[in-house]
Amino acid sequence: MAETAVATRAPAAEHVRKRPYLLVFGTLAAVTAVELAITTPGYFPTIEATLRVVVLVTLSTMKASLVVAYYMHLRYEPRWLLLIPLGGLALVAVLVAALTGTSTHP
Amino acid sequence: MAHPEVARGEEEHHGSAWPFVVAIGMAIGYVGLVSDLRLLVAGIVIFVGGVGGWVHADMQRPSSAFYGVVSAVESKFPRVSARKLAMWLFLATEIMFFSAIIGASWTLRLRTTIEGTPDFQGPWATPNQILNVPLTGLNTFILICSSLTMVEALSAAERGDQRKLKLFLTATLLFGILFLSIQAYEYNKIYFEEGLTFVSAPHEVNPLYGPTFYAQTGVHGSHVTAGVLGLAYVTRRAYKGGFTKENHEAVELAGLYWHFVDVVWIFLFTIVYLI
Repeated sequence: MAETAVATRAPAAEHVRKRPYLLVFGTLAAVTAVELAITTPGYFPTIEATLRVVVLVTLSTMKASLVVAYYMHLRYEPRWLLLIPLGGLALVAVLVAALTGTSTHP
Repeated sequence: MAHPEVARGEEEHHGSAWPFVVAIGMAIGYVGLVSDLRLLVAGIVIFVGGVGGWVHADMQRPSSAFYGVVSAVESKFPRVSARKLAMWLFLATEIMFFSAIIGASWTLRLRTTIEGTPDFQGPWATPNQILNVPLTGLNTFILICSSLTMVEALSAAERGDQRKLKLFLTATLLFGILFLSIQAYEYNKIYFEEGLTFVSAPHEVNPLYGPTFYAQTGVHGSHVTAGVLGLAYVTRRAYKGGFTKENHEAVELAGLYWHFVDVVWIFLFTIVYLI
């Protein structure tokens, strides 16, 4: 089992251009369909509102990560390049912290 | 277009003051957006003038993209070209830009929808109450398709496959235009038929629902428009044979921007339409 995993991963690490673009596309489309199903009344077992928000945000983060990693090629770039978008996200974390502070009522 | 001559022994320099003019124009425009229409107009004029000046200055450089095939410029960092590094830095600022707008909208939503508190202005609309979620689901799918065709275009450029490069770039461009057309249809429908305006909302929905909706999706839509214009330029160059197996950086950079706009939509679709 472990050997197969290594064998299938090895070519991607090299400069072989066979990249899983269609697989990523299929996943993005499927996850979007799941998101729509979750929010369409009657198509999915009703789930609790807070849980639904958590599930939806998790799914969209997953989709965004796939696009950034494979379509924007961040997975194949030097590791340090990841620091640039992460730097932006770090400032976003500060913003979220500040906004969360203002939205709670005394 | 005449190709400018470089004086012998003179170094070509890449510095420009025009980006500052662009930034000042944008700043004045944003201030005008929330205060005075005249300031907004002045900001737009300065912004457009800045972009024009920048493009004009760029055309004076012999290595300008306007004069055919451009090779990647080395940066001081390993394995990432100067232009790609600049695009990623720009995208990092875009992350902050969109986060500010989404964050402000969420704060307004959280503050004004709790019944019994002094800031309460009415409930938020439920999905499908005003917006057409299945239609926007289709639009999301269209944007995902455009990301696939974009990455296939880059892949074709890397292989030197001119026919597929042109085909996939054209497809991406058409998907982008289709996305904008559906959004224009949606805006028209919900503004004039549903009555969701910048100051009021139907069905006793919170009046802040409209402005936050239009701010978030409008800013994204303007980015898609910019992406479509960029793609149109890149596609035109592809048809004129401007990209080779070795030199196709513009396709990659346009792709980075395009995928980023897709990433923003992935979040906006969830935040604005589904939650």
